[in-house]
Amino acid sequence: MKVIITSIVVAIILALIFSLPALAQDSGTITITMTGANEISISLDKTQWPLGNVASNTEYETSPPIEWCTLTVEGNCNVNTFIVGDDAKWVSNPGAYKWTLSNDGTNGEHIYGLWFRISGDTARGYVPITKTQGEFWPYSGGSGSSLAPGDTKQFGLRLLTPTYFVSGRQMQTQITISAVAA
Amino acid sequence: MVGHIKLAGLIAALLVIFLPSFTLAQDVNFGVAPAEVKIDNLPPGETTEFELTINNKDEIAHVFTFTTFQPPEEEREEGMAEFPDDSWISFSSPEIEVAANSQANVTVTAAIPQEQKWAGEDWEIWLGVAAESSDVLGIKLYVRLLVFTNPVVGSKFNIGLFAGIAVAIVLLGYGGYYYFRRKTKPE
Repeated sequence: MKVIITSIVVAIILALIFSLPALAQDSGTITITMTGANEISISLDKTQWPLGNVASNTEYETSPPIEWCTLTVEGNCNVNTFIVGDDAKWVSNPGAYKWTLSNDGTNGEHIYGLWFRISGDTARGYVPITKTQGEFWPYSGGSGSSLAPGDTKQFGLRLLTPTYFVSGRQMQTQITISAVAA
Repeated sequence: MVGHIKLAGLIAALLVIFLPSFTLAQDVNFGVAPAEVKIDNLPPGETTEFELTINNKDEIAHVFTFTTFQPPEEEREEGMAEFPDDSWISFSSPEIEVAANSQANVTVTAAIPQEQKWAGEDWEIWLGVAAESSDVLGIKLYVRLLVFTNPVVGSKFNIGLFAGIAVAIVLLGYGGYYYFRRKTKPE
């Protein structure tokens, strides 16, 4: 009987010798770091651009053209900002009719163009807004740097209506300005 | 008396005209904290959680929606690779309504599958918070999420390992018993 107990104890010790190191490897501590408890925040002082009736193949600009809206960095961290557009949809039945946003600012039948221009940005001038998120400020190849808390950027929009569209329908689109900590 | 009635009528008319304009003229202003979250030493097979705080600084309530976004390589921090699968990140709710001048929290869960190929990786993905709006201009704020996985795959309760240990114990016990029994047996 004594031999049996000794054998089992030896077996348990051997099993633990081989299994414990493997188990111990998995017990690393997961660390979650909330960097500086910073808040990211931007604001826009204007979000609406009611145009009323528009004609085909015509450009419309916000007024004033490039100082229409002011973006302000409100949080406590520097930010890089981006801009992205979307198709314009018929308000009454969004699934039934739309104007497709072009990928280069040009227009076509049921295809419209959108542009933005930042005040003081003479290097780029008007920049097309597409359905792929693009740089707002700073931008690649430019000399500008990330926006710091309190910094502002004024900008305006330009719309180029389709060469042909179904009239009498109220269309609506959305342009999203986004920010990430620099 | 007639003058007072006319004045009251005029004030009522002005309210009808200007109140809608005032409501529509609201700007968009909200914040998200923290701006960056770094998860270190997350073993594949493990799950971890953290909270984002949405601070609605507007005078009206807003509904905020949550999404993930794969940033292009040039926007990622140095040395960080693309996060392999958006579905490994989830939010406690896809949207949340936050009252005017108030804050609310949303819990974010990161769960990495238990596979050796996900060990020892450095990934970046952005968590987007946007205020729902029908206006032409909208805002989305991104929180950088940096995930560094542990070089060792995590251990959930491994029934195979424990079964193996049990079998080993029995076999070793039996072997020991048999050995000592033969050894002590008189010739």
